Amino acid sequence: MAQECSLQYEPVAEIGGGAYGTVYKARDKESGQFVALKSVRVQTDQNGLPLSTVREVALLKRMVLFDHPNVVKLMDVCATLRTDQETKVTLVFEHVDQDLRTYLDKAPAPGLPEGRIKDLMRQLLQGLEFLHSHLVLHRDLKPENILVTSRGQVKLADFGLARMYNCHMALTPVVVTLWYRAPEVLLQSTYATPVDIWSTGCIFAEVYRRKPLFCGESEVDQLTKIFEVIGLPAEEEWPDVSIKRDNFSPQSPQPITDFVPDISEQGAALLLDMLTFDPLKRISAFKALEHPFFQED
Amino acid sequence: MAQTGFCDSRPLPDLHKKAEERCAPLRTWANSCPLKESRTPSEGEKLGEPKYQTEQTYRWVRRLPLSAEDGIIMDYAEQNGSLHQVTGCERKALMDCLTGLSGLQSLTELLPGLLHRELERAMSKMGLICDRTFAWDVFTEMMRTQLRCAFPNADLPPPFTDAMRAILVDWLVKVHMLFHFSEETLYLAVHLLNQSLRRIKVSIASLQLLGMVCLFLAAKKEECLLPEVSELCYLMQNAYSKAQLLRMERRVLCGLRFELSHCPPLHFLLLTASIARCSDKVVLMARYLLELSLLEGQCVVYLPAQLAGAAVCLARRILQEPPTPESEAAWCIASSIHVGSEASLLSIMEIMAVAAARADSRETRATFIKFSTADTLYVSIHPGLKTAPSLYGLSSPQT
Repeated sequence: MAQECSLQYEPVAEIGGGAYGTVYKARDKESGQFVALKSVRVQTDQNGLPLSTVREVALLKRMVLFDHPNVVKLMDVCATLRTDQETKVTLVFEHVDQDLRTYLDKAPAPGLPEGRIKDLMRQLLQGLEFLHSHLVLHRDLKPENILVTSRGQVKLADFGLARMYNCHMALTPVVVTLWYRAPEVLLQSTYATPVDIWSTGCIFAEVYRRKPLFCGESEVDQLTKIFEVIGLPAEEEWPDVSIKRDNFSPQSPQPITDFVPDISEQGAALLLDMLTFDPLKRISAFKALEHPFFQED
Repeated sequence: MAQTGFCDSRPLPDLHKKAEERCAPLRTWANSCPLKESRTPSEGEKLGEPKYQTEQTYRWVRRLPLSAEDGIIMDYAEQNGSLHQVTGCERKALMDCLTGLSGLQSLTELLPGLLHRELERAMSKMGLICDRTFAWDVFTEMMRTQLRCAFPNADLPPPFTDAMRAILVDWLVKVHMLFHFSEETLYLAVHLLNQSLRRIKVSIASLQLLGMVCLFLAAKKEECLLPEVSELCYLMQNAYSKAQLLRMERRVLCGLRFELSHCPPLHFLLLTASIARCSDKVVLMARYLLELSLLEGQCVVYLPAQLAGAAVCLARRILQEPPTPESEAAWCIASSIHVGSEASLLSIMEIMAVAAARADSRETRATFIKFSTADTLYVSIHPGLKTAPSLYGLSSPQT
């Protein structure tokens, strides 16, 4: 029973050696299908598997039942004991060859047509809306974990794992990208579903630009780059955090079309709604799908 | 009294033996805390039964590190957020199913709107939803989820029998009370036990361990405070080690593929009762009957909504509260929730009526005792229960 995962799935290649541990492409010996194996090592104390892991994996399993087209499918889970203090939870996901990063790199010269961008963004927001309606945050949305199938179907991956990975992260000295991180996370304030909308906004801009919008090298540098575009937020919008507003030089908002020249008028309006500093005023996934940008044709 | 191999081989020694010996494992902790009279002895009830104490139980209490801002789960009270992919077609089919089966065809036109409104009210009262606009989505999701909670047949893989399972569930009811867990935890634990018995191979010797692990996992999913593993082992008279318990936990999680979601019949019961404006006594009686059904092996084939509906129907028949036009109208709306045939409702009511009539004379009487206190309005010793089987043309058991 405990060995089931390693017996049923045969690793083919390493596909991600990221901050969160290794991801393998593997073959399911029963069906011949390719799958992605992600292992999370969780600390087990004398009370067994931590409550947070039990609940999170149970929630992921439950979401499988809805079979949402824009969310990567969790096919199997198993837990094996590594040492007395550590249990390895292996999550078996459907395997998709291409992520949004490679998809954009492969797009021919003038970039993607707006119709295609609209389709990608609609699917991304539909997936996100599904996660948010189940009270799941992605927390680490970026082109690398947005998968695009050969038929152009968008699937969100790596959601809901952020906390499970956290305990492992402290051990890996790999730098996690800050480029898609919402200001409230950079400021270490409280955060909720709007963080994913911020990341979606950054990705939205990147789909037009074919290069990232804000490429900061540290938390403060990232915030500076953000304020150079959206302007320094008003004093009353600044959250109660240790990083003070005075540390940043006053800036007025710049026209977004200076940074994303190819975007349509409605697209620019939606992008600004997503890149709103105050998380409470930022548009929700549900509202974004109703935005005129997706209605016009 | 028939002895099963189950109890001979491993300790669940409190149950299933002579009445005096029956309380043995629970006596280990019952001894260390003072007995408390929790009900009147008027029924000629022996008072040597272990009473569930509070002082003793706080030893295990421990705050769990669960901070909302650090997690993906912001509110787990009821994880049914909204469900946007319920299509109009499914909705109609469900509506047909709801209204078509209860002999209420004439009300079909009227019902959806009324039911909708009543559901919204009842669900916000129960705290199942925080926003009324999601009421229908959450309800539809409950109706769908419950389909996976019923089993195709009541057969247990050998060597297990319904009697063994009943003894184990009865013991879980006691442990559950000891820890002051919520009722949802008990229903989830028994559901996990039913699943595990069918999906993973365990020996009779580890049946009690399996039951405890199911309760532990249910608590991990539902409760804020968890008992220590050593406490659980102690309650099993240290017949199993902590390592064995944790190994069983992994086996259950793997065997069930981490599928720990459940749609407790209790939610349907409270919904029905709230819509039908049932009195507190009817609700308690229905909760008692529903909890008794956990011990009945045949009940696993029925849907949670059917079990809940049958419990409320039977409670109303037993208590015979004088009807008013309002209560009849409210009952009409509420009874449209009980999906399924009249025949299956009747069969469940029969099972419950027989179980309730025999409850005080059986080996497994934790639920009977639980519902015989002043807090529970003495519902389990209501005289109407003795004659309940005759409502269905069955003879009352001689006790």
